[in-house]
Amino acid sequence: MSLKHVWIVFSKEIKDMARDKRTLISNILIPIILMPLVFTLMGGGISKMEKDIVENVTVALSQASDTPEIRDLVADIFSDNPNIKILDPVADPVEAVRNDRIRFVLDVEKDFAEKMNQGKPFHITVTFDQTDTKSGGSYGIITNAIEQYAQKVTEDRLTKMNIDVSILRPIEILNEDASPEKGGGNLMLMMILPMLATILIAVGGIPAATDLVAGEKERGTFEPLLTTQANRMSILFGKYLAVTLFAIICVVAQLIGVFIGNIVSPTFLTMGVPGADLKFHIPTLALLLTILITVTLGMVFAGLQLAVSTYARSFKEAQTYMSFLMLIAMLPAYATMIMQPDDVKLFMFFIPLLNAIASLKLVLGNTINYSYLGIALVSSLVYVFISLILAASMFKKEKVLFRS
Amino acid sequence: MLELKELTKHFGEVKAVDRVSFRVERGEVFGLLGENGAGKTTTLRLLATMLKPTSGTAVVAGFDMVKEPEKVRKHIGILFGGESGLYDRLTAAENIEYFGKLNNMDKDELKRRVQELTEIFGMGEYIHRKTGKFSKGMKQKVAFARSIVHNPDIMLFDEPTSGLDVSAIRDVHDFIMDCKKAGKTIILSSHTMSEVEKLCDKIGIIHKGQLADYGTIPQLTAKYKESSLEEVFIKLVGEKI
Repeated sequence: MSLKHVWIVFSKEIKDMARDKRTLISNILIPIILMPLVFTLMGGGISKMEKDIVENVTVALSQASDTPEIRDLVADIFSDNPNIKILDPVADPVEAVRNDRIRFVLDVEKDFAEKMNQGKPFHITVTFDQTDTKSGGSYGIITNAIEQYAQKVTEDRLTKMNIDVSILRPIEILNEDASPEKGGGNLMLMMILPMLATILIAVGGIPAATDLVAGEKERGTFEPLLTTQANRMSILFGKYLAVTLFAIICVVAQLIGVFIGNIVSPTFLTMGVPGADLKFHIPTLALLLTILITVTLGMVFAGLQLAVSTYARSFKEAQTYMSFLMLIAMLPAYATMIMQPDDVKLFMFFIPLLNAIASLKLVLGNTINYSYLGIALVSSLVYVFISLILAASMFKKEKVLFRS
Repeated sequence: MLELKELTKHFGEVKAVDRVSFRVERGEVFGLLGENGAGKTTTLRLLATMLKPTSGTAVVAGFDMVKEPEKVRKHIGILFGGESGLYDRLTAAENIEYFGKLNNMDKDELKRRVQELTEIFGMGEYIHRKTGKFSKGMKQKVAFARSIVHNPDIMLFDEPTSGLDVSAIRDVHDFIMDCKKAGKTIILSSHTMSEVEKLCDKIGIIHKGQLADYGTIPQLTAKYKESSLEEVFIKLVGEKI
């Protein structure tokens, strides 16, 4: 293999790809534009939903409960909640809730005042739609307000009896968060980034790999190339490096998109929680190892893609085979999407794709384990070697190269 | 000079090229005449070291193609028929330079050679334009220039006129004759009788991977007592069908 020839092939392929506007637009420009757009739409949607759940809570009484005393009681219960709007009574609570005319309908026992005076409990029936996100989300606000009112009544009763109200709370729970500054902020990023990065690095090289061998065969440029003084391994390696670089560029474009998206819509990655910041404390070595693991995954797939592209008779045939390769990359990425860093298992670091996903999840979750990252890198390098041997063997096989 | 010695290539049970031997002298045009699937392209692919022979060998410009394939490639240029096979997003100059670089030409030498070829083929107007939108004729000239950028001693033409119109065929024929004048050793594969009659000094008739016979046209017609090359071809090929 001649490094000079590798470089000549590599630089030609990069120049050629850089001039392919269609591929550049679909693989680089669109992700940069699309991600901020997705963030804005989805992030905006989440924020709007959160705001709606908290701020637009509508409550009405059933017609049967619509008495001046009950109206006063309800106004008293929700007096500390200005976001809860009390609307006109409804005749059919179930119909009103189902048709989204109102979020909650309260039905209060008519003799509540008498029972309260006697110190007996009375019932308030809350009708709501549990399957409706907004109704289900606001349910806690309504029940909290009622429970606080009930507690206030209890405290008043105990005070009248000269009993200390603390008798009701023999235990008070104090919370202390022991997580390493995890917060809730990185949750979304831990879900989407490993998935995005691994899928993209694995499939990002597909357009280039398809074009660089199957495409050349179809256009009739491949045979003249094989008659030059560059040997086949130099040609293969030049193309291999170009495919790998293209896959890396695709991931970088996507990350730029995520970065811009986070600036445009900061609440998306924090699941709509405005205060929850993204917190990272990633040591340089861990970051470097993770990048290397992701890049080596790209190299594994670049080798596989070139092997497939070499085997294919035509551009179209290569595209068909590549779609299977894409599926192989997507399955583990989606299967582990909601997996948390604590759920990551040792065996994952030995398996291609899973090792990159697991490493990214660990690092993004601020759980650094150098042994695991080391295993992932070494196993990735072994797979790079295997995929290169596969691509090289395809490139040497006359039956494969001149299939028609 | 080029000499094939019992050159053989099997693809499984199929004998694509079967013990083919002939010799082509410097400045000679040797026509490989045969029907589709006769083994012409496989023979040229073997000579271009794209395929390894099952047995036998060839000596190309003094180098054994089995032992020193890279040195052989230094001395050969190849032109395929049909599509010109250019990189559409590269300019004509970049297409030519790419092959020059892969044939180990240095920067200055390559620059001079591209200039020279631009003048020879009259490509001045479009040498720095991307080839994607070129006409067939323009593409063909770039392909010619690319095939001889490294100034090879031996030229292999694999059905170079297949699918071309009359004027493009004329250009190819002129190019082959120019190569001959430049003293290059040439092998031309074709299934067009008139083409080999017009261009070749010697003709080899290949059928089912075997070289049925070879010689000059007068030698062949005299040997087989036929009035034309076509009759000789039919006699040799027909007898073996």
